[in-house]
Amino acid sequence: MSTFGGPTPPGPADGEPALRFCGVVHRYRTLVALDHLDLEVARGETVALLGPNGAGKSTAISILLGLQCPQEGWVSVLGTDPRTVMASGRVGAMLQTGGGSGLPHGVKVGELVAMTSRLYRRPAPVERTLQRAGLAQLADRHTQRLSGGQSQRVRFALAIAGDPELVFLDEPTVAMDVEGRRSFWAMMRGFAGEGRTVVFATHHLDEADAVADRIVVMRKGAVVANGAASAIKAAVPARRVRFVAADVDPARLRELDGVDAACVRGTEVVLDTLDADATVRALVGSGVPFSDIEVTGADLEQAFVALTSDLTDALTVDDAVDPLPRTRRGSVP
Amino acid sequence: MGTFLRFEVLRLVRNLRYVGITVGFPVVFYVLFLHNERPDAPIAGTTWNAYFMVSMASFGAMVSSLNAGGTRLAAERASGWARQLRITPLPGWSYASTKIASSMLIALPVISLVELAGLVVGGVHLQPGTWVLLTGVLWVSALPFATLGVLVGFVASSETAYPLVTALMFLLSFFGGLFTPVRYLPAALRRVAAFLPSYHHASIGWAVVAGRVPALADADALLVYALALALAVAWRHRVEESRAFV
Repeated sequence: MSTFGGPTPPGPADGEPALRFCGVVHRYRTLVALDHLDLEVARGETVALLGPNGAGKSTAISILLGLQCPQEGWVSVLGTDPRTVMASGRVGAMLQTGGGSGLPHGVKVGELVAMTSRLYRRPAPVERTLQRAGLAQLADRHTQRLSGGQSQRVRFALAIAGDPELVFLDEPTVAMDVEGRRSFWAMMRGFAGEGRTVVFATHHLDEADAVADRIVVMRKGAVVANGAASAIKAAVPARRVRFVAADVDPARLRELDGVDAACVRGTEVVLDTLDADATVRALVGSGVPFSDIEVTGADLEQAFVALTSDLTDALTVDDAVDPLPRTRRGSVP
Repeated sequence: MGTFLRFEVLRLVRNLRYVGITVGFPVVFYVLFLHNERPDAPIAGTTWNAYFMVSMASFGAMVSSLNAGGTRLAAERASGWARQLRITPLPGWSYASTKIASSMLIALPVISLVELAGLVVGGVHLQPGTWVLLTGVLWVSALPFATLGVLVGFVASSETAYPLVTALMFLLSFFGGLFTPVRYLPAALRRVAAFLPSYHHASIGWAVVAGRVPALADADALLVYALALALAVAWRHRVEESRAFV
């Protein structure tokens, strides 16, 4: 088995996961983009990479595509190294284009997809690719006459033209409207349903929640949470405490143990907390007259904020089977 | 690779603006400036109509290459298409080499059309064998232009490519003696011409229409240019590949 930028990885090539990062470090001058990243994705999985800007998602994808070499650690893709696997055409990708359409001008959509298909050894039939990407009606359209959402779909078609086993999508629905996003993911799910592995980076938590089998949250170049959306939500200690109270001072509520944010609307009070038990005890102790108290779990967004906030350095969630010790807000200096 | 080359040439031929500039400029300039002199005025062992036909064929080969490589490649790098190609099984070196090859393929009809204008409008009379030889040497020796175009495309951004191409076109054609024969330029500028590929390219053609054997020095200069520019392209390509892209 060939390796990529480091010591020989263990294990046979057969039955290898779709991709594997082992202790990968990557720096841009002084900025650490990946900090001993360990990650594995099994074949057939659909995995969402979440994380704030600068968390290392795009660096991770560019290393997987062989566009950059890891400076430490090793990476394997489909049981081999990224450059070999890219040259073999078993991987497709849709990258960020930084505002450009990512498409050449002066060709029709059908011609572009056909040309790209011929670059691969075992491409999918062009008609099938166009149909999968929802482009059957647009095959005769020139690339410079496409809307933003249509361009994205063409780039998706280019990513899958080679009939890849593994597809990377780096923020594929950026700049799409709601309807465009909905139909894009419907298309993507159909493609993933054929037993392919899909890894996508996104800022849209609802997309990750709805589409992915598993969510990987990255922060500062490492994985801070890894599991199903429901597991991540359950494992993050973030909770929402609601109650009804008259004339309370939000500033005073924010000082209660564990409280992250407090919101008062008329008589309804909502507290976001990282330790619901401590917050409720403190609330009782504070003498504020309250009624109708209710404690609910975090939604994915609240969990995401909790996981990636600078206040929660030690907080990690791994597979949510065995939640790690919860970090109390109060223990953070 | 053949697939990609066909695709590139198709895109070039379809672009009306590109075809207009590439074919239109040299042919229109030939017709416009032919009568700056008497067409049968003797110059460098031949006549002005044939001499200026070679100048404009050289200009056409240069214009088509600089526009095909420079402006368009820079735009493709900016749009993200060049990077999309990098993640296909297309070998990394074939992007630049296909660009050079497609520029060369376009240069052949451009040279031929200027020659046709020379024959029809300029009344140039050459032996059939000389026409073929002229076309062949002008075409093969256009390689430095094709390579230069691609280098510009790799070095320039999409904003700077167009002005850079325009400046190169002007400088190379003016100082290379394509509009005003080098012998009419001031002595200082005549020395500059000897360093320009445009001058050496046209010199080979001027020799052919005058029935002389082209000077080895011209061929050598063009070869050195082609090699140096190809090395520069390879180097820029490596820089581009290793660049962090996030």
